[in-house]
Amino acid sequence: MMEKKTVHVNGVDLAYVDEGEGPPVVLLHGFPDSSYLWRNQIPALVEGGFRVIAPDLRGFGDSGKPQEVEAYGMQTIVNDVVALTMELGVRRPHLVGHDWGAAIAWMYAFLMPRRIDHLVALSVGHPGVFATPSIEQRAASWYMLFYQFPGVSEELLRRNGWRLFKEIMGRDGDHDRYLRDLARPGALTAGLNWYRANRSPASELRITRRFPPVLAPALGIWGAGDKALLEEGMAASGKFVKGPWRYERIEDAGHWLPLDAPDQVNKLLLGFLGTERPAHEERRPRRRL
Amino acid sequence: MSEQPDVVIVGGGIAGASAACKLAAGGLSVVVLEKQEAYKDLVRGEWLAPWGIREARRLGVEDCFWDGGGWEIREWMTWDEAVADDEVEAVDMTGFIPGFGGPMAFPHHAVCELMSEQAVAAGARLEMAAAKITVTPGPRPVVSYGTPLGPRELRPRIVLGATGRGCTVGRQVGITMRNSMHHWGGGMMVEGMDGWPPDVQAMGTEGDVMFMVFPQGYGRARLYLNFPTVNKHRYRGPGGVDRFLAAYELKCLPDHGKAVTAATPAGPLSVWPSVSSVPEGPPLTEGVVLIGDEAGNADTVLGTGLSCALRDSRTVCDILLGSADWSPAAFAPYVEEREFRLERLDFGASIISRLHVEFGPAAVERRRRVRRLMARNFAAQVTGLLNMVAPEEVPEFGFSEFFAERLFRETA
Ligand SMILES: Cc1cc2nc3c(=O)[nH]c(=O)nc-3n(C[C@H](O)[C@H](O)[C@H](O)COP(=O)(O)OP(=O)(O)OC[C@H]3O[C@@H](n4cnc5c(N)ncnc54)[C@H](O)[C@@H]3O)c2cc1C
Repeated sequence: MMEKKTVHVNGVDLAYVDEGEGPPVVLLHGFPDSSYLWRNQIPALVEGGFRVIAPDLRGFGDSGKPQEVEAYGMQTIVNDVVALTMELGVRRPHLVGHDWGAAIAWMYAFLMPRRIDHLVALSVGHPGVFATPSIEQRAASWYMLFYQFPGVSEELLRRNGWRLFKEIMGRDGDHDRYLRDLARPGALTAGLNWYRANRSPASELRITRRFPPVLAPALGIWGAGDKALLEEGMAASGKFVKGPWRYERIEDAGHWLPLDAPDQVNKLLLGFLGTERPAHEERRPRRRL
Repeated sequence: MSEQPDVVIVGGGIAGASAACKLAAGGLSVVVLEKQEAYKDLVRGEWLAPWGIREARRLGVEDCFWDGGGWEIREWMTWDEAVADDEVEAVDMTGFIPGFGGPMAFPHHAVCELMSEQAVAAGARLEMAAAKITVTPGPRPVVSYGTPLGPRELRPRIVLGATGRGCTVGRQVGITMRNSMHHWGGGMMVEGMDGWPPDVQAMGTEGDVMFMVFPQGYGRARLYLNFPTVNKHRYRGPGGVDRFLAAYELKCLPDHGKAVTAATPAGPLSVWPSVSSVPEGPPLTEGVVLIGDEAGNADTVLGTGLSCALRDSRTVCDILLGSADWSPAAFAPYVEEREFRLERLDFGASIISRLHVEFGPAAVERRRRVRRLMARNFAAQVTGLLNMVAPEEVPEFGFSEFFAERLFRETA
């Protein structure tokens, strides 16, 4: 296993892997993973001449696990990424995200166009698409509602040997590791807080439809076997991207693309990162007085 | 100079590995000697009773079971040739012990591996591929064994023998068993059983097999068959696996058992004589205490061997952690409780074996009558309790010769 370091930034301890030399790539995992998700990508990217930085996002892995819901707002987590990269002296990394990590990467990309080089989103499309989900996507996301009830969700998920959790996760991803990770003190609540802070019905009311455009060259990858996120989420993301946009569908992969199709993902990353030019930032018309 | 740990545990199965977790967590220095190079499917028990889950929780190893693939089973369908289609019941197994759900099916070797990891994380030393173990009892027992790097010797304060039915330690220190055998059994792991409801276990008898199906989720299940000794060669040799699966083509099962017969083997098939062993004296001597199957076991048909192994482990660990006196006398409460427990389980297992693992028209007729008796008189179901709750929690009368006599005479 790659060695992890820890820094204290933005009020939380973040553990991260930092390997290789070259243009920096930041890899952001989702629920309920950690930097371990990227174990097949890290060596390939290092070999390909990149510096790879893969944090355990707050609430996961070896990083801090604040127990308040408010600690998990998207803005806060985007700030974690900003603070971590600044701490490591990285100005303009490529960002690659999966699941929640992809949502963070999208947000980072449109909030901080000058601090991102290329963007790769796996499984999860632009938040603008999720602002108006189809009823099919809502049905596929049923568990997000179920995760909303502090204490109650935890107890129901854990009950009888995590039976419900096992049924929700199936045998996907690193299913045989998740229980051990989530059994760490505070880990389950921390993980669910991501949903509570950002996927509650109340938060849906707060979503504004206008998103600044993504100027970075962006690549979206979706696995045809993904049961949680429907294709519309990724395929329709292009309209929020002003830079070059590419969409790739991988037939024999499910939600956990980095694990299900490591070779294809590596090939796509190596063939994409650093190859395109961003769109120019729009000049805001000066407001006349 | 040889290493002098507090405790050497010979055998890192459910009994040995769970004891290592508890003792290491309690601050003792522990060495576990396991003969396998890596844990693999040995076709052992994989159905853990609710009272066994409680034992695991008390030992602090419950997470290893669930993380290792444990799956809660909720219902027991009474599919059997002696039960008419419209009489088949779904027995809810989730309410036997408050705070615990139904029984659990789990991949045995995966759980042993997690427990051994937990023990190591707590400070125990685990020696895999330990060969040719010899144990010399005494106030300062000696354990010698072979490693790929040469022979080794340990001088612990005490040895726990946990090698299972092989009784490797027990035989060396002069503990003898009274063995008996009523039938044979076989087991195999399968996957792709997608047509089988994941909440439902089945145990029943038809023709010349008593079958068991314990789902482990995601289309996987542990299958066991019990059958008369005359059929001991049927499931061996070339084609044995196919004949084993084909044995589940049964009229009493939905779709004649198609969900099972169409499944794919996912582990070795193993066939064995189903032996019960009762120790002829206390399962200990100076400097050596036996736990788990090595200390004696009832017939596997009852599905309580694992729970017993965990109970043994807990009882013995509590004594080791609670007192500085590790002389044989200090283990008297263990010896006494275990004897009481094994007597009950052995009694219950023999009733179950006679009822469900005997074949032919007379046996079918007897099962029908027993079912009727049980429907009339709820108390007659007492034996059924025995694989859900701990033996001491089952009413006394279920273990009287009078009860057995009545069950078999009234139904003869
Ligand atoms: C086919 C079958 C089905 C069963 N079904 C059930 C069931 O459904 N439910 C239930 O509760 N019980 C069941 N049982 C019983 C259950 O498996 C045992 O009671 C339980 O495994 C006992 O645990 P143990 O740790 O004492 O022994 P074991 O599980 O036998 O473990 C012994 C360990 O010691 C190691 N070992 C052996 N010899 C040596 C040696 N010389 N040196 C070093 N290490 C050694 C072995 O490799 C193993 O790891 C079943 C048993 C069988 C055989």
